[in-house]
Amino acid sequence: MKRRVVLVDDHALFLAGVRAELGDAVEVVGEAGTVADAVPLIKELDPDVVLLDVHLPDGSGDAIINAVAPDRPGVKFLALSVSDAAEDVIAVIRAGARGYVTKTIDPDELAAAIERVAQGDAVFSPRLAGFVLDAFRAGERVADDADLNELTPREREVLQLIARGYMYKEIAARLHLSVKTVESHVSSVLRKLQLSTRHELTRWATQHRLV
Amino acid sequence: MPLPAFATDAEGRALAGVCAGIARSLGVDVTLVRLVFALLALAGGAGIVLYLALWAWSSARHPWWPIGLLVLAGALVLGAVGVSDRAVLGIVLVAAGLAFAWRRGGSFRADAPLSYGGIAIAGVGAVLLFGAGGAPARVLAPGAVAGGLLLVGGPWLWRLALERDAERSARIRTEEREDVATRVHDSVLQTLALIQRHAGEPRRVAALARRQERELRGWLYADRPVGDDGSSLVAALSAAAADVEELHGVRVELASAGDAPAENALVLAAREAMTNAAKFAGVEEIDVYAEVTDDEAAVFVRDRGAGFEPEAVPGDRKGIAESIRGRLERAGGSAVVTSSPGGGTEVELRLPR
Repeated sequence: MKRRVVLVDDHALFLAGVRAELGDAVEVVGEAGTVADAVPLIKELDPDVVLLDVHLPDGSGDAIINAVAPDRPGVKFLALSVSDAAEDVIAVIRAGARGYVTKTIDPDELAAAIERVAQGDAVFSPRLAGFVLDAFRAGERVADDADLNELTPREREVLQLIARGYMYKEIAARLHLSVKTVESHVSSVLRKLQLSTRHELTRWATQHRLV
Repeated sequence: MPLPAFATDAEGRALAGVCAGIARSLGVDVTLVRLVFALLALAGGAGIVLYLALWAWSSARHPWWPIGLLVLAGALVLGAVGVSDRAVLGIVLVAAGLAFAWRRGGSFRADAPLSYGGIAIAGVGAVLLFGAGGAPARVLAPGAVAGGLLLVGGPWLWRLALERDAERSARIRTEEREDVATRVHDSVLQTLALIQRHAGEPRRVAALARRQERELRGWLYADRPVGDDGSSLVAALSAAAADVEELHGVRVELASAGDAPAENALVLAAREAMTNAAKFAGVEEIDVYAEVTDDEAAVFVRDRGAGFEPEAVPGDRKGIAESIRGRLERAGGSAVVTSSPGGGTEVELRLPR
């Protein structure tokens, strides 16, 4: 069954491009260009995945997630961004997006990312993986919630390979794991990224850009 | 707070219905209002004048009549409570002058010029007040004059300050616009012209667009890695990636964790690896990841292209691999090339810190 997708982006040209590129891979059921339009539309359509621009004319993507998530917990969000500050991207992910890809992603990978997110897994771009590795730098101790504030060695390995441009199945082959296990490591990292109290997360994000 | 609407009351009237109208709009007994007017009438006839003023207000087309009568009523009241005639005249003139000066929005509005006539009248009134003698006038007059000056001059000065600020920000905006125009002309328009000329060569067009994007991004977001003069590893890799993109029409995705001062050998080896991937792998995208830890700086250059059998490489490619390895080993580092036919290639470059 095709995934039902809503696109939220204020650049009409880009929307048209994504729609054309995705072609038959998914079913684009709706489009919106502002936070005000997107929230009721998503609630009404109840799609599988919302492809969400990080920055919109009347607010940022996390406003949409915060408004929709309580009513429609089944809707998954995938952040899509071209030139936004890392702090905005991190804000959207911490609001509950299942991942982040850049707008230069090729169509097949975008379709794969949508499918992955629809199944409840996480999607990281190489840059985001680099960011997480940087922010969760080994050796820096954090007082509380050690679980959430530290990456396991395995998670670190997986992230490094994502940063190096490996796809999940390549990572699985290299580390002698199943793709499912790789996915669960990435989901676990996403959870830490969303819940961690590490202050490096925000400090780093204000100093860097992800794209 | 809006004033209660007032109109004469024709039904409950004794004379013109002014008292009845006031009583109705304030919701008090009409007798009480009439009593107040009667008492005021004893104060030099002020009540009568006030009555006429209100009557005129409710029926007049021109507002000057009731205003004039109101001023007269005020003067009569002041006279009745023992203020000297000269002081009363002074107060009336000050009030009238200020009324003139404040006409049509007063000095708050840019299109209402200062009323010099009004100020002059107020000034004459102030002089009269000063000279009027009597303790209350002497005490009150300077304060009243200062207040009057503030009322007339303050908004005017305020407006001047606002105008100056507006002018300055307009000038800054103009300068910014010119800066943007220059920038757009020098780079974006040039690139668009080049793209039109090379419309038939997709790789060239892609490279031009990519370079322009990089430039614009750098300008718009000050999007430069730490040590933006190219002295940091990530900055130097980013510059090398830009060169390779431009020369070979590929796309280089650079990710990083941590940063350090740039090491020439590492950057040049990475650039060589990117160039190789761009030339031989037959792909459009190359992934580069730089990671700096406490012990070492590592750069990974990966493509998902043709790949090769490391044992059976043609001489010239081996030479290139050797040049990468040799360069790094001389600097105390190491290089590992992993490749398989159809499985892409990855070059790992490591340099201890």
